[in-house]
Amino acid sequence: MTLRSFEDRVFVLAVLLPIALLVAALIYVPAVDTLRTSLTNRNLRQPNRPIEFVGLSNYQRLLTGNEMWQVTERSLTVVALTLPLELALGLGVALLLNERFPGRGIVRTLVILPWMLPPVVNGFLWGWLLNGEYGALNGLLYQFGLIDQYRFWLRDPASQLTWVAIVQTWTRFAFPMIILLAGLQSIPVDLYDAAEVDGAGWLARFRFITFPFLLPSFAIALIVEFIASFQIFDVIWTLTAGGQTGGAINPGTKTLMLYNYELVFRDLRIAVGSALSYLIMLMSLAVGLFFVVRLYNQGTKR
Amino acid sequence: MIALPWRKWLRLTIIYALCGVVLFWALAPIYWVIVSSVSTRAELYSAPYKVWFPSAPTLQNYVDLFTTGPRYRDGGFLPTADLMGAGMRNSLIYSLATAAAVTIMSTLSGYVFARMRFRLKGMIFFLFLLMMPLPIWVSLIALYFIMSQVGLVDNLLGLILITTTLLLPLNIWLMTTYIRDLPQDLEDAAFVDGCGRWQLMASVIIPLARPGMTAVFLVALLSAWNSFLVPLIFSTTARSQPVTVVLSFFIGQYEVAWEAMSAAAVMTMLPPMLLALFFQRYLVRGLTVGAVAGT
Repeated sequence: MTLRSFEDRVFVLAVLLPIALLVAALIYVPAVDTLRTSLTNRNLRQPNRPIEFVGLSNYQRLLTGNEMWQVTERSLTVVALTLPLELALGLGVALLLNERFPGRGIVRTLVILPWMLPPVVNGFLWGWLLNGEYGALNGLLYQFGLIDQYRFWLRDPASQLTWVAIVQTWTRFAFPMIILLAGLQSIPVDLYDAAEVDGAGWLARFRFITFPFLLPSFAIALIVEFIASFQIFDVIWTLTAGGQTGGAINPGTKTLMLYNYELVFRDLRIAVGSALSYLIMLMSLAVGLFFVVRLYNQGTKR
Repeated sequence: MIALPWRKWLRLTIIYALCGVVLFWALAPIYWVIVSSVSTRAELYSAPYKVWFPSAPTLQNYVDLFTTGPRYRDGGFLPTADLMGAGMRNSLIYSLATAAAVTIMSTLSGYVFARMRFRLKGMIFFLFLLMMPLPIWVSLIALYFIMSQVGLVDNLLGLILITTTLLLPLNIWLMTTYIRDLPQDLEDAAFVDGCGRWQLMASVIIPLARPGMTAVFLVALLSAWNSFLVPLIFSTTARSQPVTVVLSFFIGQYEVAWEAMSAAAVMTMLPPMLLALFFQRYLVRGLTVGAVAGT
């Protein structure tokens, strides 16, 4: 129905206006402001310098310098390590929980727990687990005779990104697991029966029935988890970032989000930080727009 | 008991063994932090041999946390009592208010988008959704200076407004699709009876949409309690810092008191854990349905 009366108009306005104002004032206006700032030389370390328009030179400096590429490489490394781990683990647990057995509901509830916890706590949990002096991993491996002295797992810069990926996997594997489990449960059972009659083994059934049916679920999990690990911040902050109390941020795990935080709130290079935020947006634009258009179509269909 | 064929036994044995491995992976870190929080420092630091269950479990770490407690740096050295107490209080107000605001706004606007027709509706809906994939920094950098000019930095109201706005698009979408799929005959009957829109919301839509609203409320509650980056930037003192930010200050520059830190971590994760254990169905649905539709 179209807005029939004055009363309907007031209703729509009363509902949408506060939300529109919030979204405009807190998201879109600042986003435009950030874009404008990225074209200037604003730097809070030099508050007395007049703010001038400098064109795209902040972008140019970021794109031609080394640091942004190193940081981007770290972010992509986290993504490349996390996605296969998460999807493999998610698929494994989904296949397990797709079986019928007493206690399945309880196992499902408990397996999901890490996903529900604050990621910033998860970083701390693992930092304590991996602690070099008193950590539980050391204790466990030592008691089983697998190491003969305690190790500082997080100290070696080369392995830090791997640990970040492992903790991120621990935090998020429940999401692909649930998506894949739902996919598994949507496969018609008679397909398997028919295949069994035709003499297809377990592997053939997985290859020709389960896997093709699961592809859409894989795609969903991949996209959501790509965004989540590309924009990782909280877990790194308590696991390996260092510098929580104002010191330097550990370069070994400085990913894009941490670099942006450092530029703006530590180095106070507002303009360069603003430019970086728009570069990050460009990097994730394709994935994000695809997502939004799908949601829009789903939400507006009759 | 009837003896099962050996193949069934074998199958169950393998399944439970695998469940054991999976549960160990998922729960061991949580178990360890809970054990740490009820251990004495002497026992906890007894390397190289670990005690996997404290010989004399104690709640002293929790008592310390909320009374005298060790001191941690937060600008000056503050006793944990002030920080933790304030942090829990702030988190509670922050997440409850955010969840309430998100639920009310997304239910009302979900109804508007699902049932009413007006000019620019599609565009407004699209603009709400479009903010979702924006990397948070694009807005946060300039927003920080805007908020500090209007006095909403280090202010719970500021945190609630920002987090509510960030959570709105997905939840508006959720409520729009939820209300769209509700049967319409009750609404039609109410209109025939001369019912106004507000009255219709109160007497028809809200009772029917309650399961969807519950999912939205719980997801928003969990998301706000778990959020870290926004409060890290916008809260500068104990006046508005939620407990996630307080916890991050416990990681000192030189030393961490792991037993007290563990107690603080357990306090931080207890509310989400309870939500997850009691309302898992709602949370899982709310957290996945948008993702599934979006791809």
